[in-house]
Amino acid sequence: MSTEAPRERRPAPVLAPAASAESGTTSPPETPKKPPAPPLPFLLDFFPLEDAKQTRLSAFFDNLRAGRLTTTRCRKDGRVRWPPRVVCPECHTSELDWVDLPVDGRIYAFSAVLMGAPLGMESEVPFVVGLVEVDGVPFRMFGRIVGTPWDQCHVGQKVRAEPYDLPDGRVFYRFRTVPA
Amino acid sequence: MNLGRGVALVGGATTKFGVRAATWAELAQEAGQALFQAIPALTAADVDSLFVGAAEPERFAFQSHVAPFAAEQLGLAPRRVLQRTELACASGQSAIRSAFASIASGLSDVAVAVGVEKMNLPSMAEANSSMACVMDRAWDGAHGATAPPFFAMVAQRHMLEHGTTEEAFAAVSEKNHKFANSNPNAQFYDKTFDRAKLGRLPLVAPPLRLGDCSSMTDGAAAVVLVAEELVSKYTDVPVRVRGTGQYADFHNLANAGSLTDWVGLEHASREAYRSAGIGPSDVDFAETHDCFTISEIVEYEALGFCPKGEGGQFALDGRSSLGGDVVVNPRGGLLGCGHPLGATGIAQAVEVYDQFARRVPAARQVPDPRWALVHNLSGSANVHSVMIYEGAS
Ligand SMILES: [Zn+2]
Repeated sequence: MSTEAPRERRPAPVLAPAASAESGTTSPPETPKKPPAPPLPFLLDFFPLEDAKQTRLSAFFDNLRAGRLTTTRCRKDGRVRWPPRVVCPECHTSELDWVDLPVDGRIYAFSAVLMGAPLGMESEVPFVVGLVEVDGVPFRMFGRIVGTPWDQCHVGQKVRAEPYDLPDGRVFYRFRTVPA
Repeated sequence: MNLGRGVALVGGATTKFGVRAATWAELAQEAGQALFQAIPALTAADVDSLFVGAAEPERFAFQSHVAPFAAEQLGLAPRRVLQRTELACASGQSAIRSAFASIASGLSDVAVAVGVEKMNLPSMAEANSSMACVMDRAWDGAHGATAPPFFAMVAQRHMLEHGTTEEAFAAVSEKNHKFANSNPNAQFYDKTFDRAKLGRLPLVAPPLRLGDCSSMTDGAAAVVLVAEELVSKYTDVPVRVRGTGQYADFHNLANAGSLTDWVGLEHASREAYRSAGIGPSDVDFAETHDCFTISEIVEYEALGFCPKGEGGQFALDGRSSLGGDVVVNPRGGLLGCGHPLGATGIAQAVEVYDQFARRVPAARQVPDPRWALVHNLSGSANVHSVMIYEGAS
């Protein structure tokens, strides 16, 4: 059983820090290439708009394309928050800096979507989602988890964040299990 | 908290819940018809305000501006306050809380709160997308975050931290489905689910099976709330609003904190108990938000019906059923009745009224009730809304 998202078109770049864990030897084989699905109408498309014409957070996606998972840190209170923002919710300042997030973490909780998938995700069933405790930040990140079938995943399992390409040229991130 | 002038619930009604061959507008008309039948003294001219609980009519029915749309379906011409309330799964209770606040403040005298949701669409995948956009759509939804995997994670952590079992989940589902067998308006009125059958149903989001999840449901419900001095025109068994509380503390799942410790519900229920001047042990029956079996288990704990971590055992021991400490979800719950988002909170209030008015079948009648609690969560249990009612003594 493969948990790979069929949206992927090319191997994702390895996020810094480049580590030896991305051996790929224990990952399931990639899903065979399928012709790209027709794009969903805008109001059924889950993925964020990433172009600078549409969002002030386009740097997040530029960074992700360059292999960096980043978020914003408030200059005033020094806190790193998720998701990235344009105004600090505490200080209400817009003086925020982009900082790299640690990419290694462990599964805190997970489940799998076996039925009831949203439009555009039906062909990805079954897929694993989970909350990941990311090393060194005061929050957990939710995301798709690939690399291990759902019935072999476990709480505490090591995962690493990675970017992946959407068929229309946008980019997003997910977690991949790290071989023990 | 000053609750203002007295407000009472004087009756209500629901449509049949289920996969209905009926549109949003038709469901609203049915709810209006049932309401006027349930309260013979009520006339359309009496109603000065209308609050419409509707979670996603834009997505499920491609209809916006639903407050005047609903008013027309019900044959009402509100002259004081007309508004829609949207709070996802709690949209119905939000309509009731708003009606209560409007009457308590003196702005309204006679208010209808109606909840309508049409969820079964030709494309269920599209309906699932609509459910998923209740989450932080861009940052959580895009990964595939819908309600079942979120509550499955709550279940996983509760099992890990407290040793809760799948049998406890099935005990909740069995109880609520059994109650639903006494409620002809319930989606699963004529379906039997015992624990053995529930354990064989397919997994939706492990560890949750089909019988652990409430359904996509079409339905509508309506209630009338009036100022204390107008009560006698409509009923001789009024039900008074005595307390309310609400709490919201996060939205993106990154900021959820503990999955099993629903701090927001502890805050909301504490405020509701305090305003009513009662405690958890005073509650005779509760309509709680069992969108999933695990939700009801965590709710027993956060509402103070049992100690933290013991919700599963509380269900297994029958302490949330007739003859137990507190009767939870005698209507059949969201599990047995289905969960038409905007209608759910209203239908729970209808059950509260009908229980106090002794209008429900004996199989689910709570003996001599005085205090009732209604709870709705919304989204990823990031918002909790609670109301406390006292029956006529
Ligand atoms: Zn700040």
